[in-house]
Amino acid sequence: MSSCLRNTIRELRAVRSMTQQELADLISVTRQTVIAIERDKYSPSLEVAFRIAFVFGVPLEQVFQYEAPSSRAK
Amino acid sequence: MSRISFQEKMLWAQLVGIVVVVAFYGHFLVHSGPGHHYFHALVLVLLFLFASVRTFFRRRSGSVVEDERDRSIAAIGSRWSNIILWLGLVAILILYWDHGSMRSANFLIGMLFHLLVLAGSVRIIRELVAYRMAA
Repeated sequence: MSSCLRNTIRELRAVRSMTQQELADLISVTRQTVIAIERDKYSPSLEVAFRIAFVFGVPLEQVFQYEAPSSRAK
Repeated sequence: MSRISFQEKMLWAQLVGIVVVVAFYGHFLVHSGPGHHYFHALVLVLLFLFASVRTFFRRRSGSVVEDERDRSIAAIGSRWSNIILWLGLVAILILYWDHGSMRSANFLIGMLFHLLVLAGSVRIIRELVAYRMAA
């Protein structure tokens, strides 16, 4: 399940002293899914991505960045 | 706090259950005569018990127990399981077409039972692999 999406959820959580469980409860997913998203092992649906951005109060592109496979190889 | 989700824990429990049932079944086949209908009934009772226990723990758990990731992994497992079921059904139909008669009804039931166990095992293992890969 390799993903081209990179995210800053861990950093955003750290700034707000928010635990993975707290974030999971706020966006209605399991803590294991938050772990998988943070590690770029799972790409969330658009709805969950927007929920995460809403919880942190930042634009979506500040949470998730798309990295094209060719740019990753460089 | 556990790194394993509720769904994954249930899958491990199912895998252990299937291993125990298959081991018991092997032992049963070796040490019993022909005809093992009571064994099928026993498996059905065990399945019912497992479903009840699963429902109980699911209701007791306050937080989210299933989300989109669980559902997507379940869909992958179901896809694999369906492929096994369809291939098995075609194989059974071919076998029944060649050797079928009213006397072979037991054979047919036995084959269907094995096919269900195989499809269930493949589903569980595929889902566990998906969970571990995304852990």
